[in-house]
Amino acid sequence: MTGSSKKDYQQRLDKITEIFSDILGNAQNQVKGQGRCPYRTAKDVCTAKFGCANREDPRDRSEAPICAHDGNLDFRTAWETQPESYEKTKIKIEQVKLEATNRRKDKRAGMEGQIAPAQTLFDLADDRQLRLATSCGRYGECHECIVTVNEGIDALAPRSEAEEFLTDNYRLACQAEIIDAMAQITFEPLIRTPRILHTAFDKAIDLDPGVHRQGDKILRDGQVIDKYRGHVYGLAIDLGTTTVAADLVDLETGHSIAVASFENPQHFGGSDVMHRISYDGGPHRGELNKVLINALNREIEDLCTRFAFKRREIYEMVVAGNATMRDLFFNCDVQPIGQRPYKSPIELAFLAGERETTALAIEARKLRLRAHPKCLVHGLPLIASHVGGDAAASLLALNISPDDPEITMLVDMGTNTEIVLAGQGRLMVASAPAGPAFEGGLVQYGMASYDGAIESVWLEGVEFGWRTIGDVAPVGLCGSGLIDILALLLRSGAMDEKGALAREKGRRNAEVVVAPAHGITISGLDISHLSQAKAASNAGQTILMDRFGVNSAQIDRLHLAGGFASHVNVSNAVEIGLLAPVRADRIIKAGNTALKGAAEALLNQNRRLYLDQLVRRAEHVELESEINFFDIFVEACFFKPMASV
Amino acid sequence: MTELTDIQNQTLIDEIEEYLERPDEIERFVELFSRAKPRLQEIAAAIIEGDDDGADELTETALTEGIDAIEIMDDGLIGGMGIVGIKFRENFVFVPEVLSCARAMRAGMAHIDPILSASGVEKQGTVIMGTVKGDLHDIGKNLCIMMLRGSGFDVIDLGVDVAEDTFIDAVEDSGAKVLGMSALLTTTMPNMGRTIEAFIDADLRDEVQIMVGGAPVTQEFSDDMGADGYGADALSCVAVAKELIAAA
Repeated sequence: MTGSSKKDYQQRLDKITEIFSDILGNAQNQVKGQGRCPYRTAKDVCTAKFGCANREDPRDRSEAPICAHDGNLDFRTAWETQPESYEKTKIKIEQVKLEATNRRKDKRAGMEGQIAPAQTLFDLADDRQLRLATSCGRYGECHECIVTVNEGIDALAPRSEAEEFLTDNYRLACQAEIIDAMAQITFEPLIRTPRILHTAFDKAIDLDPGVHRQGDKILRDGQVIDKYRGHVYGLAIDLGTTTVAADLVDLETGHSIAVASFENPQHFGGSDVMHRISYDGGPHRGELNKVLINALNREIEDLCTRFAFKRREIYEMVVAGNATMRDLFFNCDVQPIGQRPYKSPIELAFLAGERETTALAIEARKLRLRAHPKCLVHGLPLIASHVGGDAAASLLALNISPDDPEITMLVDMGTNTEIVLAGQGRLMVASAPAGPAFEGGLVQYGMASYDGAIESVWLEGVEFGWRTIGDVAPVGLCGSGLIDILALLLRSGAMDEKGALAREKGRRNAEVVVAPAHGITISGLDISHLSQAKAASNAGQTILMDRFGVNSAQIDRLHLAGGFASHVNVSNAVEIGLLAPVRADRIIKAGNTALKGAAEALLNQNRRLYLDQLVRRAEHVELESEINFFDIFVEACFFKPMASV
Repeated sequence: MTELTDIQNQTLIDEIEEYLERPDEIERFVELFSRAKPRLQEIAAAIIEGDDDGADELTETALTEGIDAIEIMDDGLIGGMGIVGIKFRENFVFVPEVLSCARAMRAGMAHIDPILSASGVEKQGTVIMGTVKGDLHDIGKNLCIMMLRGSGFDVIDLGVDVAEDTFIDAVEDSGAKVLGMSALLTTTMPNMGRTIEAFIDADLRDEVQIMVGGAPVTQEFSDDMGADGYGADALSCVAVAKELIAAA
């Protein structure tokens, strides 16, 4: 075949074009028709460079990353232009053209170089080596880089369209452009570096999880849901209004691998549940759910890296949270919780006989949580109104039962403080909207119990002595430290019962210095917030004891739970009236009982069923409906021991 | 009548046995490979395995051994790619594999190119391709490149996350008349507009024809951004490129 003509060669090229055209036709079918990701190879290796959410990195870094999607990926939403993003893009393109036109105008006018490229808060964070979270590549989509601007908010351009859901001094770092480069700007991320703790369960739990291993198979209810990949893990989550804690549990051994805790990123929607409810009722419905799920996904990813497992190895989750937190997490309507009788639609449906239970079980993937595709997420049952799955979990963890011949009281301190009285045939619950003052909110130097929080304070001569969590330099004050300070100020006369600071030279002190070298102080305003938080909790305990018909001397056990509970000096808490004056040897610091209970429900499905029955026996006391509520509340504002009725 | 065992290359035997099901196709490829020179069977096997180094060396060797270019294309390069096309149609391999096979074929074709031009087959021209800044999606762009090269274009692939200046440098350095940009996100699409504006700023807009594509891109967006051409998929990419080359 010598002397081939141009025509012969052209024929071959056409043949190649034909083969490729056929391939393209089939490619469209594979992607659109069968929903197979084009980046996924025959061996299910992920070849995408863009960090796909379904990508799973192997334990052995030399191996290729795997596509963990179970097939039939519906990414039409990404491929077919959505009206909303279509409009956004149109606007953005117009802006690009306008900017370019202006730039050229300036250039002609000889002003070139005066306009430096816009710097965002995220760029500034980079300069300061401050780590911010993002998973969208800084395009204002993931909302993980929310920051609180403490200083210099006027030096920023007005909120962009992507930031419409934010108010006050909250901004998206990637969107907030700095217009005054000379201004002093200070800001901090809403999602702070979380703490990883290791805990051990303080009680023996019979292992009977919903998912278990049989040989090389993973089963749920007798059905094979996966092959064994090396771990059978579950996640217990305590969704606090202020702090979220997640316990990674080995479902085969019952051991906790680690507890991760981070600040609830929904903070921009208000610091208490009522504000969150009204935020979610506004134009940005779903936003609170989105930031929380994104933060949890980030946390799961972090745990995976840290403890060398794959997120597909998480097969069950149990979520405990008050009614609002729980239902926001499950993306349910929370509006009815904001008005009397403060009940979630799920509880209302249950009471109307339309549901069997207020407990929920939904697949993780439907919640956009990244775990095994068949991972089930259980929401623990609600007790009544604001008293939700977190209080229910505490009942489980502490074995609180109406069948107990002795009287047990539980005070679970948080932004929403839950109070339970049980025993001698009764189980009574109430929820007191304490607000976040003891949790780190509203108080200028307040913080959650992270490293650097002053957890304990005492007097050394005329100055304060203190100890921080983690024995590091103090950053702020957590609840237990605040309780100590209030008790010390009260005892020394630097503060009166009403919370007013003493006068010096005829003028009232505006603040008290706690750690002078670190600039940590407590102000009159801080004390006023703390007084109201304390009053809500105090009034709740007073009313509940009254309704139950017991006084504090008759209480056999008082469990003090909550994020900072384990650090609390109990006698100080009693002295300022935060806690009922139960004999010191009857007060037990129980730690995060909501998380412990969630883990117990994760490890034993019968305990979950038991709990579902137990909550039906609870009597809910609506504190506001108490005739003397206002008088009791005013009385409760005073810093003095609770009257032992 | 030829038999499967008449083929010498074991990879080809295994491939035909394992993946080909239609009798007419089995017959066609058994017929093709059983009479093909062993060297050309090796080329076909290298393409099926996506081995671009292999395809590169083997094609060069075949030419030095005096094998005719038409024969190398028919029995080696096109033959191998034909099997890949069938495996893809039957869902035995997927887009990433096809792209690496196409790359291997390209490595072989690079040695055939000079012979093609000598015979008077003209190149279609040079196209610069890249995914815009902030965007790391490359499959759509790579399919376009496969198609363009298959249709006789020279392609300079700038990869993903390509900054405006990189596009400009590439146009200046190569003198290419057509530039293709891809974006798979509505959030990165405006960067196509930015790049076009950057060409205006660099006084190069008249030197180059710009085409855009990618799932979220529409004709309307393309017009808004001031692009010269828009392709809805990799197939139309070739047609648009041909039009733009003609217009340049």
